[in-house]
Amino acid sequence: METYGNESLREAFGKALIDAGKIWNNLVVLDAGTKNSTYSQKFQEVFPDRFYTPGINEPGMVGAATGMAMAGKRVVACDMSVFLHHAYAQIRAAARQGSDMHMIIAATHTGVAVGPDGGSAHDLTDLARMRLVAGFNVITPWDGRQIRSVLQVILEEKGLYYVRLNRPKVPLFLPEPAPFELGKAYKLSEGERVTIIAVGDKVYNALIASEELGKGFADVIGVSTLEPLDSDTIIASAKKTGKVITVEDHLYIGGLFEAVAGVLVQHHPTPMRRIALDRIFTTSGDPDELAEIYGVNTAAIVRMCKEFVG
Amino acid sequence: MFKIPIEELTKKAYNIRKNLIELMYRSGSGHLDTSLSLVEIWISTVYSDFFKFDPNNGAWEERDRIFLSEGHACPLQYCVNAELGYYPIDDLFNTFRQPESPFQGHTKRSLKHGFENSNGSLSIGLWHAYGHALATDRYVFCVAGDGEFQEPSSQSLLFAPFNMKPAPNFTLLLNYNRLAQDNMVDLGPIADVAALYNWQVLQVDGHSFQALGEAFQQAIKDTERPSFIVCNTTKGKGGAIEFAGKLGHHGVPPKGEEEYKAYLAGLEAGRQK
Repeated sequence: METYGNESLREAFGKALIDAGKIWNNLVVLDAGTKNSTYSQKFQEVFPDRFYTPGINEPGMVGAATGMAMAGKRVVACDMSVFLHHAYAQIRAAARQGSDMHMIIAATHTGVAVGPDGGSAHDLTDLARMRLVAGFNVITPWDGRQIRSVLQVILEEKGLYYVRLNRPKVPLFLPEPAPFELGKAYKLSEGERVTIIAVGDKVYNALIASEELGKGFADVIGVSTLEPLDSDTIIASAKKTGKVITVEDHLYIGGLFEAVAGVLVQHHPTPMRRIALDRIFTTSGDPDELAEIYGVNTAAIVRMCKEFVG
Repeated sequence: MFKIPIEELTKKAYNIRKNLIELMYRSGSGHLDTSLSLVEIWISTVYSDFFKFDPNNGAWEERDRIFLSEGHACPLQYCVNAELGYYPIDDLFNTFRQPESPFQGHTKRSLKHGFENSNGSLSIGLWHAYGHALATDRYVFCVAGDGEFQEPSSQSLLFAPFNMKPAPNFTLLLNYNRLAQDNMVDLGPIADVAALYNWQVLQVDGHSFQALGEAFQQAIKDTERPSFIVCNTTKGKGGAIEFAGKLGHHGVPPKGEEEYKAYLAGLEAGRQK
């Protein structure tokens, strides 16, 4: 598959924010003491008067961000994902203000892809947490190019958005401009024997796995909006292949696997398998090494497809 | 200082307390004692001569804002906004704490009704208000409870002018009645700490219109710093005399006709002073 170099999702987001800042005069950005990790620092360099930080204070950041959104600003609050645990009450309170405001939470450093900082830094439950907050759209972009499309769309329409980013450089594989429609899942390859559904940069792994499995083997569906989930596309594919595998760098609880299972069990019960982490805390290591250890890489997808299809 | 004479404000305070007692007696739930401790503070804010709003256009961009962070005091907000003309008081009495009512057990944001923020869980609304103040040039006042300041994220607001950005258009009104749900509250040197972190700190009798009005005028005159006004109050003020300032009545409405009458007797006694 053709790629166009590598870029981390967090860096792509940071760069896209600068372009967005030029378009939207009322765009403000906040960070809670991680601006050089989240790349929100780039926005601060260009627009110092539109950047705010309360220091290492996630509840303060999300609270102030909510107040700014209530005052009519377009607000982007950035943080390393795992630290947003501190602000869960504030995230819930933000959603209780209603959706007639414009608020984006951008969480970098998700999954075991964070790497050597270890278990304390691997946020493996963010999708579960955010799916539980009524009102929040949960967005899982696949590459740096799609992030630019995501920002364009979500800065246009008022609402509450959670954007899941991550740390390492990952392949750019989408055309430019990359497709993104809120609430739409994308069929990326056609196959008959199994459906592979993935979120985030794991979509690339799913496509490579599909190539290895051969033409016509797997339907690959890329999910860039986990909430609200595009049930129709998932059900149609499940009806065709009769077998579904989900792929995510997240616990199997509360993320893509259970979201898809929830749809299928109600509308078209289908045997499923999962590429996801068990309910554990993880270890330090190189991102690729960890993906191998925890079975969330391309090889694991290929292996599981073969076993499942038989 | 105020849009109307203090004698008129005093009458309004009496009527609002009466409505609060009636409302919570009839509904059988709600936080009466906290609401009673805030009557003069809230009235003083919305009747201050500088404070602009339009009950017929709650979302008016140029309005000044009053946020309620200790959301359980929302019955007071509901009674005052009826008095201001946002909606008929009957709407409140007919639907308070009922399904889909705009008058929920804790405030649900509705600009049409003059409710700036959804609240409930403590220590959150004051950050909403501070962020809001950074994003507007209008005055933003925020009512917060003393118990609420036991939450670390409330305490961290004190650092905000120092290490985030000063919002001189922001005024925090601390309802210092020294009683929380299950215990007494002593915030120690909080006023001194706030001053060190670049707040204009004022301490007033939270039941004196004169003192509150003067403090608010001083708050808006400071164009460099936000203001932190410690309002010394009595929980249950103007209600049942034997309950006022005592533990054990948080969120407890008058039970039975005898307690209801005790509240009304306390109200009348307060009026004659």
